[in-house]
Amino acid sequence: MENELRQKAKELLESGQVKQVIGYEDGSTAFKSTPCFASSPEDADRLVWNPTCVNNLAVYLPSAVKQGKVAVAVKPCDGRSVVELIKEHQINRDDVVTMVVPCPGVLNPDALADIDPKTIKNIEWKGDGISVTTDSGEISIPREKAFLDKCLSCTLTDPAVTNIKLGDSPERSPLKDKDAAIAEYEKMSVDERRVFWAKEFTKCIRCYACRQACPACYCKECFVDKNGQVWALKSTDPEANWFFHMTRAMHLAGRCIGCGECERSCPMGIPLTLIGRTLEKDVEEMFGSGAGQDPDALPILGSFDLTKDPDPCPE
Amino acid sequence: MEAKVIAKSDIGAWMKGLADKCDVIAPVKDGDVSAFKKIEDFGTLSIDLPTPTVKGLREQFTPETETLFEYKLTGQQAELTSDTAAQKDRLIFGVRACDAAALKYTDAVNANCEPKDALYFAKRKQTTLVGVCCTTPAWSCFCTEIGDFLANPIMMDLYLTDIGDKYYAEALTPKGETLIGASQFQAATDADKQAAESAKQKVIAALPSPIDHAEKGKDFDWDDPMFTKLAEKCLACGACTFLCPTCHCFDIQECAQGSKGSRYRCWDTCQFEKFTLMGHGHNPRPSKNERTRQRVFHKFKYSPERYGILGCVGCGRCITACPVNIDIQRVVHKLEADK
Repeated sequence: MENELRQKAKELLESGQVKQVIGYEDGSTAFKSTPCFASSPEDADRLVWNPTCVNNLAVYLPSAVKQGKVAVAVKPCDGRSVVELIKEHQINRDDVVTMVVPCPGVLNPDALADIDPKTIKNIEWKGDGISVTTDSGEISIPREKAFLDKCLSCTLTDPAVTNIKLGDSPERSPLKDKDAAIAEYEKMSVDERRVFWAKEFTKCIRCYACRQACPACYCKECFVDKNGQVWALKSTDPEANWFFHMTRAMHLAGRCIGCGECERSCPMGIPLTLIGRTLEKDVEEMFGSGAGQDPDALPILGSFDLTKDPDPCPE
Repeated sequence: MEAKVIAKSDIGAWMKGLADKCDVIAPVKDGDVSAFKKIEDFGTLSIDLPTPTVKGLREQFTPETETLFEYKLTGQQAELTSDTAAQKDRLIFGVRACDAAALKYTDAVNANCEPKDALYFAKRKQTTLVGVCCTTPAWSCFCTEIGDFLANPIMMDLYLTDIGDKYYAEALTPKGETLIGASQFQAATDADKQAAESAKQKVIAALPSPIDHAEKGKDFDWDDPMFTKLAEKCLACGACTFLCPTCHCFDIQECAQGSKGSRYRCWDTCQFEKFTLMGHGHNPRPSKNERTRQRVFHKFKYSPERYGILGCVGCGRCITACPVNIDIQRVVHKLEADK
């Protein structure tokens, strides 16, 4: 697969069809990969595709397309972000070549908890799960432990903007319900949820890793960064943190594709995907449309249909 | 200075005794992350020592948000109040050698101006630090490349080394000597001393060899093409700098609510675009190229030039936290090779 990806990337770069290919390359340790920006056919040899390729590379597209046409390697989930960016006119459909890589699931770092990280030499897909090569031999980790939660419930097929399909994702029945993670949360009363989030948001240090890693957070100036007219306090007291996260959540309503980059990037371990999924579920129920599906659809927050709106403005 | 031993089972009782005189702060697990918290219940003491705290000691001396003063307006009269009330003395237990070493740097920064940072130094003065030698360094740790403070700790009062069912306790300051005067501490034998020494050497052997980064940093290439590469992938968040024990930059903000309000400072970072945006609109670090360079140059070039100390202690937090795997150790090695 990796070879096919490299080959395709080379062709695109050699023929001048694209200015650069965004993919993954080996990171500073065997259990991490890092985004790769290949701009020459030689660069394409560095591209890798393995379970450590967790990042959603769509986050780079709005700035990358300014330098010319870009090819991007996406998992079926990340491809939804490309759809959203096109739908929201942040990139032109013609400026991006979407290369969809078949994805059995990507690495849940917790899967490596019992392995001395310094002994890890390689991680690859094997059988249903992954195989970790260490100094003292090979360790197989089954699917339910190896992959991120989102992968265990994944039923996604190729995104609507697929240009190049690099093989088929393995056909598997999901191990978990998509909403298993929010089922417990939804049992909480409003007051309990308030207590829950108050505690979680106390941890926030306002590093904005959640926002920066999010392909849907592309505003040129975030409301919280405005310093002429202050919309939100920069202080980390619980109310200010609450205000930041909730405002960001509302801005993402109907636009979050659930890639989980916010939560993965959060150094403080705040379960941010709970917010995204809860809100997305509401949007799906109320407006019957999910994020990242149809690049020609109107954005939920950018459209209004009096005949469909369940809660019309009071007369 | 003197060294003694304390049984691990006596740590709780010892801390409980200290808590009568001061707040006792130690790393505890909070969900998935480990953080320094005030210990209230010494009965079910569950101190998390193996995992490094997500944040170092920075928030203990410069909180994320710190009120500078509050004001209240009555007609034309303004009344200013500042929170100068002395906080309780405190003891921080379970400090890592790297995090303590970072205080040498932040002390130098905060003393290198007039007026000196009073809020910072008030907290420094009221704090006693009890360090613990690492037994299980994280994959990203490289402190031994920066300095020898794991074996020869600095900036703390007492240093504990795990030697089985007890800790070998070295007093490093008069405050530390007073601490080991407590009844839970017993005289150390030569065997204890040797056990501590070999425990330290075992950890050090698993970590990288020393490198004279301060010397090598002098020749860093301002135009090194690597920064363009880093800038491409950097997401411009502040995870690296906010978790860094030596990063110390802050923003000053106002919060006005009708006739009252406050001025506070909160953490800021050179990785944010607006950090260097000036009032008239010019930004001397307009792109991520300049900003990624600033982080590395400040720590490995400017700091040795200005204070004679590296601005990095090799704690590895920025490496584990970076969502795109920008690894400062690799970056610095590359810069040193490129010069």
